[in-house]
Amino acid sequence: MKEQKTSVFKKITGNRNFGLLVGFVVLLIVAAIITPSMYSMNSIMNMLRNNAVYALLAVGSMMVIITGGIDLSVASTLSLAGVICSSLMSSNMEVPTFVWVLLGLGIGIVCGAFNGFLVGYLKMVPIIATLGTMYIFRGFAFLASGGKWWFPHQFTEGYANFAGGRFLGIYNILWIVIIVFILAGIFLGYTAPGRRIYAIGTNKESAQVAGIKEAKVTFLAFVISGALAGLSGMLYTANYSICYYGMGESYEMTAIAICILGGVSITGGKGKIDGVIIGFLMMSVITYFISLLPGLSVWQDAIQGAIIIVAVAINIFTERAVEKRVLKERGALI
Amino acid sequence: MSDYILELKDVVKTFGGVTALNGVHFQLKKGEIHALMGENGAGKSTFIKVITGVHQPDSGVMLLEDEKITLRSTADSAKLGIAAIYQHVTAFPDLSVTENIFMGQEIKNKIGLYDWKTMTKRAKELIEPLSQEIDVNKPMGTLSVAQQQLVEIAKALSRDARILIMDEPTASLTRTECEQLYQIAERLRDEGVSIIFITHKFEDMYRLASRVTVFRDSQYIGSWDVDKISNQKLIAEMVGRELSQMYPEKTAKIGEVVLEVNNISKEGYFKNISFNVRRGEILALTGLVGAGRTEVCQTIYGIMNPDSGSIKLKGKEVKIGSPVDALAHGIGLLPEDRQIQGLVNELPIYQNVSSAVMKKFTKNGIILQQEEEEKNAIELCQKIQLKAKDISAPPSSLSGGNQQKVVFAKLLSCDLKVLILDEPTKGIDVGAKYSIYEIMNELAASGYAIIMVSSEMPEVLGMADRIVVMKSGRVTGEFESEGTTQEMILEASLKHKEEREDN
Amino acid sequence: MSGETKVPVRDLAVKEKFKLSKFLVKWEMILIYILVLINIVLIVAKPGLYFTNGTIQSIIQSGMDLSPLVLGMIFILMLGDIDVSVASTMIVASMATGLSMDAGLPMFLCVVLGLIAGAACGAFNGYLVAYIKMPAVIVTISTSMLFRGIVKIIMDVNVLKNFPSFYTQLAWTNIAGIPVSLIIFLLISVVFMLILHRSTFGRKLYIIGNNPTVATYSGINVEKTKMIVFILMGFMAGVASIFFVGRMGGGVSSTMGTGYELDAIAICVLGGVSTNGGKGKVYGPVIGTLIMAFLIYTLGLMNVDANSRKILTGFILIIAVLIPNVNKQLVAAIKLKLFYANNKNIEAVNIKAAEEIKNYRDMITAAKKDAKMSESDKAAKVKKYEEKIVSVKAKCKEQTAVLKSELKEDARKAKQRFSN
Repeated sequence: MKEQKTSVFKKITGNRNFGLLVGFVVLLIVAAIITPSMYSMNSIMNMLRNNAVYALLAVGSMMVIITGGIDLSVASTLSLAGVICSSLMSSNMEVPTFVWVLLGLGIGIVCGAFNGFLVGYLKMVPIIATLGTMYIFRGFAFLASGGKWWFPHQFTEGYANFAGGRFLGIYNILWIVIIVFILAGIFLGYTAPGRRIYAIGTNKESAQVAGIKEAKVTFLAFVISGALAGLSGMLYTANYSICYYGMGESYEMTAIAICILGGVSITGGKGKIDGVIIGFLMMSVITYFISLLPGLSVWQDAIQGAIIIVAVAINIFTERAVEKRVLKERGALI
Repeated sequence: MSDYILELKDVVKTFGGVTALNGVHFQLKKGEIHALMGENGAGKSTFIKVITGVHQPDSGVMLLEDEKITLRSTADSAKLGIAAIYQHVTAFPDLSVTENIFMGQEIKNKIGLYDWKTMTKRAKELIEPLSQEIDVNKPMGTLSVAQQQLVEIAKALSRDARILIMDEPTASLTRTECEQLYQIAERLRDEGVSIIFITHKFEDMYRLASRVTVFRDSQYIGSWDVDKISNQKLIAEMVGRELSQMYPEKTAKIGEVVLEVNNISKEGYFKNISFNVRRGEILALTGLVGAGRTEVCQTIYGIMNPDSGSIKLKGKEVKIGSPVDALAHGIGLLPEDRQIQGLVNELPIYQNVSSAVMKKFTKNGIILQQEEEEKNAIELCQKIQLKAKDISAPPSSLSGGNQQKVVFAKLLSCDLKVLILDEPTKGIDVGAKYSIYEIMNELAASGYAIIMVSSEMPEVLGMADRIVVMKSGRVTGEFESEGTTQEMILEASLKHKEEREDN
Repeated sequence: MSGETKVPVRDLAVKEKFKLSKFLVKWEMILIYILVLINIVLIVAKPGLYFTNGTIQSIIQSGMDLSPLVLGMIFILMLGDIDVSVASTMIVASMATGLSMDAGLPMFLCVVLGLIAGAACGAFNGYLVAYIKMPAVIVTISTSMLFRGIVKIIMDVNVLKNFPSFYTQLAWTNIAGIPVSLIIFLLISVVFMLILHRSTFGRKLYIIGNNPTVATYSGINVEKTKMIVFILMGFMAGVASIFFVGRMGGGVSSTMGTGYELDAIAICVLGGVSTNGGKGKVYGPVIGTLIMAFLIYTLGLMNVDANSRKILTGFILIIAVLIPNVNKQLVAAIKLKLFYANNKNIEAVNIKAAEEIKNYRDMITAAKKDAKMSESDKAAKVKKYEEKIVSVKAKCKEQTAVLKSELKEDARKAKQRFSN
């Protein structure tokens, strides 16, 4: 039993997420010293609310990245779903809100299915396929909107409340994020399709031998990514009560950054939901912190770009260190 | 009712235009260990994949206990109790041992979610009788090859396999590990499992099998009772010719030492390796797969850099940091896997031939002259009797032996003194092998110093002047080929760790 | 078995000669047909405008700011990598020139500084991809944010307006009716063609793109080559900034030029450069650049706005990637799946029957042409062959049906067996 205790301790400290957590805490402390106003319950809630959409996109991107792919079209899907939901809603105010939620999801699923078909069944390179659809979906969003904007007075109260209302003191949109995190955790950890996503990301050849249909699983991952993007499109418009076709531009980068920060391996097969949660919290603090400091908001893009590079570099170097350790262990046998 | 549990008749499988199985037959008795032998590329691996439902045969019949079956996927074969342990362990390195064992037949709880607790418990129960050292929670990638193989066996057992296929399970195991595996296989046989044991080693066959089937060049050659066929005849059936005519006469005169390797080590791969090779000499570097031979060659060629030790060329110490340096010093490597390391299938033959010394065919060091390239390639390829449509055909249109000749031509375009040939006849049909051997002898005669890595014992004895044997990253023996027997080499390549500790 | 030793010397010289029929269906030729077709559409739709002085020139000029990016991207894709940071790099280069002009440096130096800034961005990408071995996708996605982010930090919402005067001239003037930008584009293209198709460096790109491991084993310094290509890409983004600033009328802000990376990649792919690396020529993308310019102009005339045009670019990219996958093997595979129930025996029966039928058809045409035979003989022969064709067809159908029913039976049994 004693042995197990030490191994548990080792497991915690050896875990990549532990390092991430330490980094997160340090970040919190630094942020607190520079901007003490950051830590009121209210501001934390607002911080999370403003970043909630990233969390949903990140969970979707995570699925695709674990299969070894990448989805650049999520932000455009968000915009397309948001625009269609808002435009229909503003002229059909009597329709209950859940219909718009389903519509958002549905649009996302269609977009995701298109990506999944190109990548899974037609074997297109994910980056090229989703780079193409990123522009296609955004273009459709423009067509659907006709270049129009929607402003708060055009949104029904029920619609806006779906994101901005509170339940037990917490914004609804955060409840949704929590539910998505839990569902994603169960899906990835405890269901056959979820584990298949890891399997094809780890070793495609083994997956074939094990009778796993690669095309099907890839398709599924893109559909989930699309569905979450569609949902976040609806939530985005509800959250801010604003909508235009250019919204959420470059959000896909933030989603990918969160995944990479959270330890999702860009070559596929590795990554856990708890890492992504921590990555999301870190990204939230960073963006919030930047927005609090005057004059720093123009730094946002550059900082985010730098974060991805550094995070990937860290992932690569830790992986190399592990490889070296394995070789060393093997060397002891020679 | 016959006493065969599994029968295959006239199975044909093609991939694109390549025939991998050409009307093969196979009969497996209940509760026997049946050895399946044949050279690389004989179609054994494809055959297993057909039995396990990974590939669907183009035509042919498969009978399980006299009943015709059609397998649509591995799930189907698993349901019938057919399980396979593949040669290149087909695991998921990032996933845990438990998950690898239960992949495809996970234990679920009432609401359909994975029951990890039960699975971990079951996995422990399955692994424990096989090995006490495997932690089922660890990722598969952290285990040794032998351990991974045990996990694969546990996986097969978890499926209540009636038919178990083992594809070269002993290829990279130590002798103790082999013995362990033999015992497990025997125990399974006694419990009524029928085993197809694919192997290159006669030792495996004699120790375990009661019958043996031989494939050659994607075709069925025959089946025999192990105790009723002589070793000589079996080899002849496998290679398709008598051993005596396998190797051409040697004509090279052996001269001074060209390359000297002193005590080079690379952590995790090999330790304190020393040997030398002379002008006109063929030095064989042999041992089991995974003994570190390829890595030693790659180090000499600069793909990897040694942690310590030195390499001398004609008495002068040289530093080789990359293949660029190696080629500049006159050291060339014919890599082990010509598809991945040797040939660009999309480019014409002549461009492949000139790819290692493009400068030679330029006007001013920059602009390539196609006529020069073609002329050189034609000249070399005619010399080594390449069979191709013309010199601009892509290598993918050639047979394995002719592809290897293109890689040879590529090396010969360079100005080399030392040739390292890593498994030069791997996956090449028998006729072409002979001409590769001829080329090697000619090269030795024209003054090259040749290092040949080979796992095939007869080839080593037939071609080499001297033999260096490696085992687990160390040199365990060095022999003049005169008077050396297969047994002596085998003994050196299986030497135990304890014995080596003494020196 | 050793019969191979005595073969006579084989003639390995290249025998295939130039064939017009093959040349005419080459991808590059098809691109030219497309270009001609677009022009015809334009002429028919707006004959007055098309023949107005300066229309063609301005169409071509509108596409030329992209052209240096396209040329650089060919090499990047050739390696099997990708660079989505080129638009940001272009803006960095523009900013470097603009700021140094503001600082009052000599014009020549300002231009050079812009080019150097571009090359430096490329070097940063190249170092991370080649030496740290990060995936090019991720590196350039993040540097596209990083580079543009840096421009935002430095410029905020300001617009740089002070640029060398020849920038606008380059973008908008013609020599003897030919746009200067086109002349420069074609000149640089020739250099790129020489490098890619004739030089050792180009050959290295083909080898690395097809198989980087072979490249290493062949003594090619893969890291260095990649580094050079990325630096070249950055430099070309610097060159692109010259035309870009000129076309924008000499003003640059931090948000300009988004989407140029997609256009550049789409043009390369349209031009037959594979995103998997190692495949393609410079000619295709050169024609592709012109096609894109004409296409966008045509859409503009049809009142299709910029955002909707992006839909088209996206589809062009996807379709252009998919086209090369449509080949004989794929067609055969689809046929096998749809008509032959995934069974090679059925396929073989049908192929054999088709061959026999073709044989008889040939014999019929031969008989019809045969002048020596009398009309009645001809008719008899033709009839005989036609009967044979019918019988072959029937036999084939019958065999297929038998095989299919067997297959069905097997499938049914399998289903029964495995359904529990």
